[in-house]
Amino acid sequence: MNVASLNPPLLALIVLPAAAFFALAIPAWLGRRVDERAINAIVGAAFAASALAAVALISGMLAIGADRVVLPLGTWFETDSYRFTWTLVADHLSVPFALLSTVLVGLVGAFSRRYMHLERGYRRFYLLLALFGAGVEVVVLAGTLDMLFFGWEIVGLASALLIAFFNERVNPVEHGLRAFVTYRICDVGLLAAAVSLHHAVGSSDIAAPSPGSGDWGGFSCPNDPIQATAIGLLLLWASIGKSAQLPFGGWLPRAMEGPTPSSAIFYGAISIHLGAYLLLRAAPLLEQAPIAAAAVCTIGALTALHATFVGRVQSDIKSALAYASMTQVGLIFVEIGLGFRYLAIVHIVGHAAVRSLQILRSPSLLHDHHHLEQAMGQQLPKTGGHLERLVPAAMQPWLYRHALERGYFDAALLDFAARGFVRLFLALDRYDRAWSDLLTSAPRPPRLRQIRDAQESQ
Amino acid sequence: MLTVRSDESVESPERVIAGILEGVRHLLPEQAPLHAFVHHNPLHAFEHLPFERAVVEAASIFGTEPFQSEQAFAHSLEIGRIRESDVESVVDDDLGPEPGPAICGLQRREFILGRLLHPFEVPIGATLLWQLVETPAQRAIHPLVHSARRRTLLHHAEARYGSLSQSTLETLLMTELWQRMKEVASPVEEQPHRPRPRDRIRDALGIDPDTWVHPLLIRLCAAFLDQGVAYWTMARREEGILRAFRRLYGLPVGPPDRWMNGLAGECRRQQREAWTAESTIVWALVALEVPPKDWPIVIRDTLLSLRGWAGMMSQFEQHPQRAPVVAHPARLADYLAVQMTLDVFASRHALCSATSEQGSLLELRPQTTPPPRDLELVYEAFVAAQLLPVEPAAFEDSAHARSWLTAIAEFDGLARRRLLHRAYERSYRVRVLDGMQAHERLDRRQLPSPEFQAVFCIDERSESLRRHLEEICTVAETFGYAGFFGVAMAYQGLDDIHPRPLCPVALSPRHQIVERAIEKEEESSYRNLRRRHGTLRHALGVGSKSLARGGILTAVTGLMSVVPLIGRCLFPALTERWSQRLDQGAVTGPATRLEIERSGPLTCEDGGDLLRGYTVLEMAGIVETALLTMGIAGACAPLVLIVGHGSSSLNNPHEAAHDCGATGGGRGGPNARAFAAMGNHPGVRHALAGRGINLPKNSWFVGAYHNTCDDSVRYYDDDLVPAAAREHFELAVRSMRAACALDAHERCRRFGTSPRDLDIGKAIAHVKAHSTDLAQPRPEYGHATNASCIVGRRSRTRGLFLDRRPFLVSYDPTTDPSGEGLATLLLSVGPVGAGINLEYYFSFVDPVGYGCGTKLPHNIVGLIGVMDGHASDLRTGLPWQMVEIHEPMRLLMIVEAAADTLERILEAHEGLDQLVRNEWIQLVSWSPDSPAMHVFANGAFIPYVPESTAIPILDRSPAFYSGHHEHLGLAHLTAAFGGAPA
Repeated sequence: MNVASLNPPLLALIVLPAAAFFALAIPAWLGRRVDERAINAIVGAAFAASALAAVALISGMLAIGADRVVLPLGTWFETDSYRFTWTLVADHLSVPFALLSTVLVGLVGAFSRRYMHLERGYRRFYLLLALFGAGVEVVVLAGTLDMLFFGWEIVGLASALLIAFFNERVNPVEHGLRAFVTYRICDVGLLAAAVSLHHAVGSSDIAAPSPGSGDWGGFSCPNDPIQATAIGLLLLWASIGKSAQLPFGGWLPRAMEGPTPSSAIFYGAISIHLGAYLLLRAAPLLEQAPIAAAAVCTIGALTALHATFVGRVQSDIKSALAYASMTQVGLIFVEIGLGFRYLAIVHIVGHAAVRSLQILRSPSLLHDHHHLEQAMGQQLPKTGGHLERLVPAAMQPWLYRHALERGYFDAALLDFAARGFVRLFLALDRYDRAWSDLLTSAPRPPRLRQIRDAQESQ
Repeated sequence: MLTVRSDESVESPERVIAGILEGVRHLLPEQAPLHAFVHHNPLHAFEHLPFERAVVEAASIFGTEPFQSEQAFAHSLEIGRIRESDVESVVDDDLGPEPGPAICGLQRREFILGRLLHPFEVPIGATLLWQLVETPAQRAIHPLVHSARRRTLLHHAEARYGSLSQSTLETLLMTELWQRMKEVASPVEEQPHRPRPRDRIRDALGIDPDTWVHPLLIRLCAAFLDQGVAYWTMARREEGILRAFRRLYGLPVGPPDRWMNGLAGECRRQQREAWTAESTIVWALVALEVPPKDWPIVIRDTLLSLRGWAGMMSQFEQHPQRAPVVAHPARLADYLAVQMTLDVFASRHALCSATSEQGSLLELRPQTTPPPRDLELVYEAFVAAQLLPVEPAAFEDSAHARSWLTAIAEFDGLARRRLLHRAYERSYRVRVLDGMQAHERLDRRQLPSPEFQAVFCIDERSESLRRHLEEICTVAETFGYAGFFGVAMAYQGLDDIHPRPLCPVALSPRHQIVERAIEKEEESSYRNLRRRHGTLRHALGVGSKSLARGGILTAVTGLMSVVPLIGRCLFPALTERWSQRLDQGAVTGPATRLEIERSGPLTCEDGGDLLRGYTVLEMAGIVETALLTMGIAGACAPLVLIVGHGSSSLNNPHEAAHDCGATGGGRGGPNARAFAAMGNHPGVRHALAGRGINLPKNSWFVGAYHNTCDDSVRYYDDDLVPAAAREHFELAVRSMRAACALDAHERCRRFGTSPRDLDIGKAIAHVKAHSTDLAQPRPEYGHATNASCIVGRRSRTRGLFLDRRPFLVSYDPTTDPSGEGLATLLLSVGPVGAGINLEYYFSFVDPVGYGCGTKLPHNIVGLIGVMDGHASDLRTGLPWQMVEIHEPMRLLMIVEAAADTLERILEAHEGLDQLVRNEWIQLVSWSPDSPAMHVFANGAFIPYVPESTAIPILDRSPAFYSGHHEHLGLAHLTAAFGGAPA
């Protein structure tokens, strides 16, 4: 067995989910009906097979002692000074993530067979789930930051569309848009980081690990510490959107609009940890940029603290779980910033399993609460006592309102940060309308009178 | 700017506002916290009106649908669910002997039938505008016009315009018809007056202040009413939500949201000057420039804008005992004061930000014009003129055309749906009544005297179980009795932490019954072990959501969750079995008994108002009433099973809605157990003998609990069954096991995920998997099939396939000549049955307005209810997955009693009379001596004339239902009589 024999399973990890997506998308595009059973078989088979591929990849790597498998797939386009290559990299970081994501997506796919039964958007749900699965594998296995960006966008799109799954109501659509806008703002960081990497070191490839810098390779690190810091901060900026860290975390509780299984897989398990994955990938670079690493720690610590307070006053189960996720991801950021890379990986895997199961179980809360009361033989003990002991009495109302209002981040964002843009857009809209009305001399939308006129003139 | 004149005193604001609130309160949803879910009529407040008026009036207030959509009725017509004869019959009834003048030469009856039987879609608003501009809609004959009519139209066109090409003729004729209709159309009517400031702001400025107020209000209400989700709860909730709100939002330096500018100061002022909720509301109404005459409507619309939360506040205020954990002192007035205070600030902000100059709310005029509704009417009249057999020449006269348009406008969608709904109900009624009469005319073999009897709840879910039991075992006799079996008690089981009432919500229990372990030591070791398990699970649950503990838990032990995660997703039934074993497997509960008899004097425990247990005389009374009503008293079998029911499922916030309605949304097992213990009590037997009821010496009662979700049965105190009854008991258990398997099999035919050819032997495993699956949104279909209620002797319906649709109430008219027993029965069965039936009706006809929509995004809040996803109104009613197979009809109540007996009962009982006379239920009298029936309509009983005497005859139920997914009609089953040829 040689390293080349590991290429097929590595490729399968991306191809199979993508194939499932196209197998659902093409009939949908052609307007063909596909029944639930077939949809399920397609997605189930694809993710089961890709989970097997991941297992084969891992066992193969262990068997031949390969720390790293690189599979160049070709070039998309190139110019004199730039080349976009498709490369897959399997190493100590990407392989556990690849396995975790494909297994979890497969499990949620199986779960949703019963959960989504008879739902009108059944196909759409699986279509987006497969797209998401494919996107995550691209992010995880990408050999360059440019390719990672490609997967990153797919994940963001699938995420926003699933939040807005129940598109006949206003709130899901608004909250899907909110997540999408947050993602886009943070994508700027990722794009800028890729451009800067090309500018500084000429490539955004994931290099082989240099001796002493850990078990997996990161992006090539510029020699100039200022550039390294800047790129590290840009990557941090990119990751705080996906991982719902401060100050952009407000979309996360709002994302609980979709069907429960999609909330579990995105915001309990995979999507929320992708920011952490990006930072882990950049860990060798962060090592060279202590200021950026400190920023990662600070953001993580502040988020964990903020989210744990806010989460504690949430009185609906999905928001409480969303903030609990945010808390742990904040901690994971701290671990990454401090350089505990393997701890972070273990933490991510453990947290993903715990949290997704909790979200899947959340509709049974009343049942569980009743049984827990019976088991304990009493009303559940009051919680929050030590918080009340620690915080001075005079501060408690302040802190409580702070938590209830979610740290006022929404107000800050909507009333101050976004206000200028909104005003500008409204003004532009007014001018645009005035101008087009002038041109078309149609001061009002057509009504009965105009239609009558129009018909009479025929 | 708005002017605030808080000093403007209004005479006793408390009284004015309290009066308005009392008038408005009953419009809010009356749904208790979910754990105590009890079915009720969502339009209870409208029961003083006739059904058809009430639904329309409610629809205009709530913005909901009164009936199924016309499209749904069209589908029913297409598949034959509504037959043309049904439509004709209801139209004839509606028109009466004098149908009124003809319309453009068309008889009124023809006109109405044509409109009902040939439905077509009228596009609305922008869709219509688009069709008119972009498609030849107003120049071409409508595609639904059949060929003969098309020829008539073109023939007429030829006569009018001369011989031209077909297409030219069509265009000319249609264009003229369209023009004619448009000419005679009247202008669009004014929009109704909407005095709520938020509505006026939204219409005029396009800004919705509720989008600011609601999220905050939802957070506040959820935090205030929370029963144990939040780790850190709101402080000092005992002072009420208004003071909590003022304290939190009156802290110096308010929230930075712009719309809340000045709120902190206002809160402090209100707090300082100790404003009551009512005076705060008055202040807000004045500040919002609402003239006093509009106050009631503004208050109503304000409360209805977030009706779920407002309703829950009102529930906590009125029924604090229903709170799952703690009843915080909620008051609707407090809540409204908070909402209106926020409304003042939001409205001011909306005015300021939209109009740079200072404006007043009173000057706001809507910018948007109402939709061109008259164009829709023109279109409707235009298409109807083509479809109906009316002389095309008639429209050349504009007076005629105008009368056509008027007729079309008068017989609008609402009027059509009203009649179609009647036809929809009639079609079912005719099938049931015909089937029952046909069944009675068939010969039925005399059955041997029963070896055991089984008493079930009247619930329609028991119908199939009873039927299967009778088919399996000809020596079994079954009865239906309200599932609390007359034992109206507060019950505390071994595991329960406090007693809960197990009786209809209309009663309040006076007796408490406690379950105790026989061996005290066993009990304490059982409790200790359970407590240790529980404490660990609680610690893990809380810890995983916190910062430090959560970090350690998820990082160190998180990976172990992969096992249950895989299990729950791939092997749900197996995983649940193992998780239960791990949870309590080590410890099986000790053997217990109920403490049923009160030996001491009439003392109350702990100074409460509950009596411990029953005296022998009280017990004898309960047993006597039940046995007499059902007709068991004189013919008691050696063994009598009393079967209560309930339902247990995962992934189901509405679990309690599947429990027994007669026990107030509880599980009826303990009631059955208590009743059986009473019946076996020697003292009770003695007392009964004294009243002339001699039960056979060897007869024995056994209580049992049927789980309707997984079709398991648990028998209570079976170790006490005496040797003489043992054999009969074992026969009963065997037969019940087989019947449950068949019951599960019959239920599975409704599940879309079950195989069509499911093996009967696998049905139990199948429904068990349904009940324990985290991914299963349809653990059972509950009352979704309910449609009717039959009060009478089972011997008359035995062997009749009724498809789990009727509530079956045992009543023996031969032992109740005065009808007093019947009156008592109807007084409880009528409202309870109608409550269940109407809750399903409304949740089905408007799943979003009356129901709580699809359950897939539901998010449990505060342990009291569900929201749609993140921060929505509290959703009341039933989820779509629970009602999706329902047929929305009013309960068809068939009572084995003479019409004059029923009339007498109605006269004597006003509440029942209101339900029947206002047509919230359909009442049918079924003669005790003959198959004759009388249907109650327009205030009188009218003899029923059957339409058909045919009925399918089969051996057993599975032969009839297997392979079918849809509702089925009635069938005669010979196995219930030992396979006698019919």
